Amino acid sequence: MSREFVALAIMGIDQHENGAVAVARVLREAQMKVEYLGKFQTPASVADKAIRQGADVVGISCHSWEYMCLVPQLLEELKARGSDIPVVIGGSVITPEDGEKMRQSGVAAVFTNSTDSNAVIECVRALSAARKRPDRPPGKAGCA
Amino acid sequence: MKMMTRSGISLQRSYAAAGGNGESPGEFPFTRGRLASPHTQTAWIQRELAGEGDGCRTNQQIRYLLAHGQNGIDVIGDAPTQSLLDPDHALAREAVGTQGVSLCRKQDFLDLFKDVPFEHVSISSSAPAFLALSGLVLAAREAGFPLDRLRGSVLHGPLYTEDCSYAWHLPVEFRVRLALDSIEYCSQHMPKFHAYLEDTYFFSESGLSPAEEMALGFVQLRHLVRKLMARGVAVDSFAPRIAFLVNCGMDFFEEIAKIRATRRLYAKMMRDEFGATNPRSLSAAITSHTSGLSLTAQQPVNNVVRGAVQALALVLAGVQAVEVSAFDEAYRTPSQDAHIVALRTQQILELEAGVAKVLDPLGGSYFIESLTDQLETRIRARIDEIEAMGDLEALSASGFFGDIFHQAMEDAQLGLEKGEVPVVGVNVHAMAEKDDTLLRDIATAKIETWRGHTKKIEQFKRGRDIERLSERLDAVAVTVAGSENLIPAVIEALDASATMGEIATTMRRALGMPADIFDHPLPGRDTGAKNVA
Repeated sequence: MSREFVALAIMGIDQHENGAVAVARVLREAQMKVEYLGKFQTPASVADKAIRQGADVVGISCHSWEYMCLVPQLLEELKARGSDIPVVIGGSVITPEDGEKMRQSGVAAVFTNSTDSNAVIECVRALSAARKRPDRPPGKAGCA
Repeated sequence: MKMMTRSGISLQRSYAAAGGNGESPGEFPFTRGRLASPHTQTAWIQRELAGEGDGCRTNQQIRYLLAHGQNGIDVIGDAPTQSLLDPDHALAREAVGTQGVSLCRKQDFLDLFKDVPFEHVSISSSAPAFLALSGLVLAAREAGFPLDRLRGSVLHGPLYTEDCSYAWHLPVEFRVRLALDSIEYCSQHMPKFHAYLEDTYFFSESGLSPAEEMALGFVQLRHLVRKLMARGVAVDSFAPRIAFLVNCGMDFFEEIAKIRATRRLYAKMMRDEFGATNPRSLSAAITSHTSGLSLTAQQPVNNVVRGAVQALALVLAGVQAVEVSAFDEAYRTPSQDAHIVALRTQQILELEAGVAKVLDPLGGSYFIESLTDQLETRIRARIDEIEAMGDLEALSASGFFGDIFHQAMEDAQLGLEKGEVPVVGVNVHAMAEKDDTLLRDIATAKIETWRGHTKKIEQFKRGRDIERLSERLDAVAVTVAGSENLIPAVIEALDASATMGEIATTMRRALGMPADIFDHPLPGRDTGAKNVA
């Protein structure tokens, strides 16, 4: 199977990069291809870039509450472009309740400070594999 | 306060080696402290970071803190303010007032500092310096308070701003010029104001070691000092008002030694390399924030303890001011409850534990003195190594420093994951999420986006005298193209109802850059594209 390709980004003017940079390294060390789109992204810019580059999974780093508004917008932007790329989010500001809201709005997985790296890697692999093999959706075990 | 122990032993202000051969606090090279201040003086400035919503809301926070014993003010701008974007900017809207106070126009500063006793408190700002300075000048002017009596500080990080949380989208040469102009302006008009706070806090939050933090701080400071001297500004006219804002993480003794080594390095450098002679030019004022990075989302009550331990290190090291990052920091800027806990932490250290009664109480400890010497050597070696790499502004533009910060971010996170750095409640003594409830409700309480303020700014923009405003913005553009000091032009533009976003846009245009990489329109001139990608 080809390497998983993850596009990571921070949206709005949240500029706390520590989490995104660390996750990029973790995924690269797990032999994934990672494109870090960087700060100052918008829902539209992330959707455009992820589709154009052929990402298997989009990861959004969230360290300000902007994500509550921008992540659902990103899901809409992807849908509007006919894309089913799964979106995962992570960040210390995500409370369990807010994470649940994000899942309900269509986010594929939510990672917090307590999520260990292996769980992130497994989840991204499962989502990526499911997308390549639509007949085999990711099991519950794969994702938080 | 009694200057004796509970057993009745009277305390000297400081202690030294028998025979009087050792260094004393307040003596060159100031390892042991900036001043040999008397017991009667305030031990240190105690303040907490304030900022949420608009100027009026943050003014309430400031007054609350002052009413409970705070004796300095530290204001933080929200993410749009830090990024030189107005609240009505498409990219900024969702972040208005949530991680600091929204400040983009004169009225915001008038609201912020309403009835603040300028005479009695120092006012520091964690916001773009040229803006914070200009806004403070306008607020003081409005209150009829003379500029030459204003105390406080603004911070500068021109070599590193684009890489660490405060991107301005302005080129490094121009960011340096703004810093120099701010410092020069204050040296002429605001002699009591710390015009140059070398802020090592914000970039070391990437996870840098204390030695690396101070090396990069010194590299930037030396660059600005050289540039100011090249302008013909006398070193003793601005150096007395240089200060450091340093980080304080959990490595207790090393953080103390870092501050002592910093004072010593600074004194030697200013005297031997820059020829300063005024004793105040040689003794660095040091202020500090305890490390937000060290605080955890898990078990937020543990952060209260971390704040106390770090604040203790700072006071033992003899800093001039302390801000304890509050226990809800992993989620938000401080709530009122977190504010009071942080302030009380400082008050208990001063009044109950009495840890500031004796200056440099750890001086002479074999361990602390050895760490101090070794840190001095390491910091100095790293400064020399970086300076030997060539032009610093070119290095900054090339991403050299950005790479250092990114590497530190990766290493910090990996160290945490691999358990190399124990963090209680995270990689040791973790707790099931359902049991981790103490203070959690307070720590995770959200600050709603201040959409009402954005509406106000939109209305404000529609109701202005565009002709006068455009004249003042044109004056900013002319000044950017020339070599005059920019600060007066910025002050007058703000006074004529320009906003910070418009001033930044004007600056970019005058520099031949895209007016706004996020398409920020100017009033009455163009509408700008809506697409912010």
